[in-house]
Amino acid sequence: MIFEIDFMKSPHWNGNGCNNKDGRLKFYSYFTAFCIFFLLFLFSETSALCHTFSDIKLRSVNDQTGRKVNIPKNPVRVVSLAPSVTEIIFDLKRQDILKGVTRYSDFPAQAGKLPKIGSYIQLDIEKIVSLKPDLCIAVKDSNPIQKVQRLYDLGIPVYVVNPVNLKTVLDMVTRTGEILKAEKMAQELVSSMKSRLRKIKLIVSKSIKKPKVFFQIGIAPIVSAGTNTFLNELIELSGGINLGAGKNPYPRFSIEQVIRLNPDIILISSMARSKNDNIFTEMKQKWETWKMISAVKHQKIFIVDSNIFDRPTPRLIDALEMMAHIIHPELFKKETPIQ
Amino acid sequence: MTFSEKTIMSRIIKVSLILAFILAASIFAGLAVGSSFNGLRTPWEIIFSAKKTDPILSTIIWRIRFPRVLMALMSGAVLSTGGLVFQALLRNTLAEPYILGISGGSAIGAITGIILGFSRFPGVATAAFAGSMATLVLVVVMSSGKASLAKDSMLLSGVVINAFCSAIIMFLISVTQSSQIHSIMFWLMGDLSSSDMNQVYILAFSIIPCFIVIFFLSHSMNLFLMGKEMAHSMGVNIKLVMGILLVISSFMVSATVADCGLLGFVGLVVPHMLRLVFGSDHRILVPACILGGGAYMVICDLLARWIPQQGEIPVGVITAMIGAPLFVFLLKKGKA
Repeated sequence: MIFEIDFMKSPHWNGNGCNNKDGRLKFYSYFTAFCIFFLLFLFSETSALCHTFSDIKLRSVNDQTGRKVNIPKNPVRVVSLAPSVTEIIFDLKRQDILKGVTRYSDFPAQAGKLPKIGSYIQLDIEKIVSLKPDLCIAVKDSNPIQKVQRLYDLGIPVYVVNPVNLKTVLDMVTRTGEILKAEKMAQELVSSMKSRLRKIKLIVSKSIKKPKVFFQIGIAPIVSAGTNTFLNELIELSGGINLGAGKNPYPRFSIEQVIRLNPDIILISSMARSKNDNIFTEMKQKWETWKMISAVKHQKIFIVDSNIFDRPTPRLIDALEMMAHIIHPELFKKETPIQ
Repeated sequence: MTFSEKTIMSRIIKVSLILAFILAASIFAGLAVGSSFNGLRTPWEIIFSAKKTDPILSTIIWRIRFPRVLMALMSGAVLSTGGLVFQALLRNTLAEPYILGISGGSAIGAITGIILGFSRFPGVATAAFAGSMATLVLVVVMSSGKASLAKDSMLLSGVVINAFCSAIIMFLISVTQSSQIHSIMFWLMGDLSSSDMNQVYILAFSIIPCFIVIFFLSHSMNLFLMGKEMAHSMGVNIKLVMGILLVISSFMVSATVADCGLLGFVGLVVPHMLRLVFGSDHRILVPACILGGGAYMVICDLLARWIPQQGEIPVGVITAMIGAPLFVFLLKKGKA
């Protein structure tokens, strides 16, 4: 025991300290006084704080989650809290009022040049506040609710969108157009998306059989997409059967299970974050060693860009067209192929 | 008042003043560093000058950085004091909430609470406290037995329980389908980035009474170090005092873990460092740990925000990276 010996040698120890109650009480009271002072200090500081964003003309709207929120009539400094929101703002040609984006906002390329406010999970509150936004647009289930609440408490209006399927993505575009004063642009965008969607539906309705599709979104462990996801909707709209369908939105699979399910098509979604990363082609080669899988036999393993397939943006229609081409190439032979 | 009481009191005040000065300096430095701007002048103007400053800057300083600095201060103070108490009670220089598995236990409780969707306070905090009490009981039961074995087996059972806790934590993380999984991972490594004033108030009100009680019992801790028989003969009700101290320290540690996540090595490094500098009288060490531990954590948090170009490092990574080598250095130096 190092400090026991050290303690016994200590010059401040005389062995009868506990007998003198007076002195002890005195320094205990000093200590208590210090603690009380500390608490008072805390309170006095915060009462002096005030709301910073009070002189802007506001209007009350319901956001996509149904929550009432006061947003400026004419927002001029908008911070986007997710890559999908950034994309939509660019699609609406309102990038002039976009003052901050998240780290992985990489589409369109100009978006990457705007100030970064952390990733959509680890929002950097301080950075957001320093950009003096009069409106933030958040995505439910992507941005942590505590951080969004924090922004709200700091007096920054936060409009929350909640895209869960194609229909709500269309609604999200309309709503974003409405709050950013770009209604016309939004309308054009939505009607073009709708007409492309109708076209695909029409073509797919001519298909005879439904191939089984395994959409792999995670490499290790192998993860697929369940029923309540965009990917499930895209697979079904393209006339395929999603093998990952089920209650769990992100079910895990073993190689054994996938072989047993015997998919006709395997799609591997790649995160384009690291370009020289070849784990996705390696995964494809790994699947190719299992010759008994139908997708391997017929060489139907494809690597697709995850940014197009899992971001709730107008590009989902591109994803749908790509997916339909992959699942039912026979239906598109007459037409010119899409990039 | 005897001569010795006078000296001890003046020493407490002297030590506290020195450390309070260091703490104040580190708080100020903590307010000066952040992702939007760095520099000592702005916080100086905002705190001390009467003229109107940019409301955005003062919002950043007062409502974003200040709660965070206070949170770091309190977590450092709690973990250091907790380490000090455990070291005295278990008469083991290597005892510390993190190493004994107390932090791990409260992390299990807190994660369970988060997965079940409890509110942060009081739900998650209560679950964390339950977890820490369970591990504390386990450590005490496992290590109690033959007196000669007790000292080492305390640490060993701590190691075992810690390993078990991390296994359970990984299990919970891999089975959960909760969308909060990312925030759990960040929180686990020690995350102060989402601190706000409400959290600060709640934590302050739960830990300050604990500090007062521990300070009142600091003299008993001195007597404990001389052996249980000695302490008993000096009029200390061993079981009662020991029970109070163990429960109170676990309580404040779990309150901190529920808010800030796992911050390792603080409870080891700070008390050791202070003991080397100020000797081993607990009447001095308790206030020293509160102030010094607070300063240490504020500085660690400052580094966590300052070092990376983008984003930030979890504070737990910094405390362990500074703590472990410093601990080895102190151990070597102390022996020489």
